[in-house]
Amino acid sequence: MIEVRNLSKYYGTHRAVDNISFTVADGEIVGFLGPNGAGKTTTIRILTCFQPATSGSATVAGHDVFTESLAVRAAVGYMPENVPLYPEMRVREYLRFRGKLRGLDGTAREAAIDRVTQRCWLEDVINRPISQLSKGFRQRVGLADALLHNPPVLILDEPTVGLDPTQIRETRSLIRELAQDHTVILSSHILPEVEATCQRIIIIHKGKLVASGSPSELRERISEGAKVIAEIKGAPDEIGAAVRQLPGVTNVQAERRDGWTRLAVVAASDLRETIAQTAFTRGWAVRELHRDAASLEDFFVKIVTGAHEQE
Amino acid sequence: MRNVVAVMQRELLSLFWSPIGYIVITGFWLVTGVLVCATKAFTPGQPAMLRDVFMWTPFVLTLIIPAISMRTLSEEYRTGTIESLMTAPVTDTQMVLGKYLASYIFYLVMIAGTLIYLVLMAIFGDPDWGSAAAAYLGLILVGLAFTAFGVFASSLTHNQIVAWILGAVPLMLVAWFAYFIVGQVEGWMREVLQQVNIMGRFGEFARGQVALDGVVFFIAAAFLFLFLTVKVVESRRWR
Repeated sequence: MIEVRNLSKYYGTHRAVDNISFTVADGEIVGFLGPNGAGKTTTIRILTCFQPATSGSATVAGHDVFTESLAVRAAVGYMPENVPLYPEMRVREYLRFRGKLRGLDGTAREAAIDRVTQRCWLEDVINRPISQLSKGFRQRVGLADALLHNPPVLILDEPTVGLDPTQIRETRSLIRELAQDHTVILSSHILPEVEATCQRIIIIHKGKLVASGSPSELRERISEGAKVIAEIKGAPDEIGAAVRQLPGVTNVQAERRDGWTRLAVVAASDLRETIAQTAFTRGWAVRELHRDAASLEDFFVKIVTGAHEQE
Repeated sequence: MRNVVAVMQRELLSLFWSPIGYIVITGFWLVTGVLVCATKAFTPGQPAMLRDVFMWTPFVLTLIIPAISMRTLSEEYRTGTIESLMTAPVTDTQMVLGKYLASYIFYLVMIAGTLIYLVLMAIFGDPDWGSAAAAYLGLILVGLAFTAFGVFASSLTHNQIVAWILGAVPLMLVAWFAYFIVGQVEGWMREVLQQVNIMGRFGEFARGQVALDGVVFFIAAAFLFLFLTVKVVESRRWR
């Protein structure tokens, strides 16, 4: 559905997007993840034909973004970052205007407006001027606009930024629902956001694509062995020494915490059972024992801080 | 064409919604009213005449028309709505044309308000309908060119006040400067000034003559600045 090949974009001498390539299959939800200024919005603006790329090519729904710009724009529903709207217009007036630009006529347009107002919970504000709407409602108007012509591709730039927690949850579930009949690209600088909604994550940093894959794939790639956390009653030295002798252990941290010892054990394999047996045979009480799944958050932070090796 | 109309309708809605539209329109009517008094258009015992009012109108329009069109593109840049507009299936030319037509229609409504003086003339005297028609044709043509220039000025900046200054100052310079200086200089400068002498060209219409080269001049100027506006809008994509 979307194919990006060796895309680069310079602003003067500043390289905003650096040789990015990826594809998005039909019906996928893909999340662009990266810190602010990573090049997410620039990539999105190239895909939506707002700005041309300096080099490389991209096709959306089979059309080239540069040579068949109008066909691409017709196939894409786009919600720009911060959702720019005309404050002086009423919601219905705005959607009518956008519907006309999308080539929807009379009854088809009204039907489309009814459909998106329902879908985006806009019934209560449909006749209100946009200037009076809260951030959450403005965001929904932007989403309604993107959905108006029922496009095969939806591109949402930071769709939940500035929303309160309830609205974020509502928007996320709406996006997941939309993914049933649309291909969706969304961008975010917040990892849980992307993890919660997307099947695939593309991590961009300093204009470069640094990682891509499903959340579980990314997690596997970064889990260096298994890490087990345990809290056992007893002295840290004694317990630490006993655990260090277990097979495959590479690193043990033991610290005292209100009479208990908190252990963080890194080993080649999952040691939960062994640790439990050891504690049992030595008569130590255990109050916590779990495997610490490597978190994507750590991975993301590593990338952002530059600790991760660049591919 | 449908896209042009859609953009135009939205633009008109904004123009009639904003206080600036009403300030501009009342300002213009006020000034023309003052002109009617100042030029003694209705002097008892004298033939009623609007010619002097018409002569001065383009001077006023150099300030008024850029105020009508100053928001067209600069406000879209400032608020970022240009992004939704330029990613919708609308060509840059359609967008510029729609905005231009909206400003121009607003201008025509404003000009139509001055027809009241013609009605007064008809009540109190016997107006020369032919020369009045020529003068209005002149205003329609001047509006075409000035509005195009105003939209062009608006395409250059994010700030509507800057857009107004960028529109009004060159128009004032050309309209006033060329008019007063053209007799004072010789050689190539005079040739050039004669060509761009907006007031001189409009003056022929105000006196009741439809000059073909004047018609061509104003229409060509409108095309030139609309073309340049489209180019500026296109070039903004590359930045």
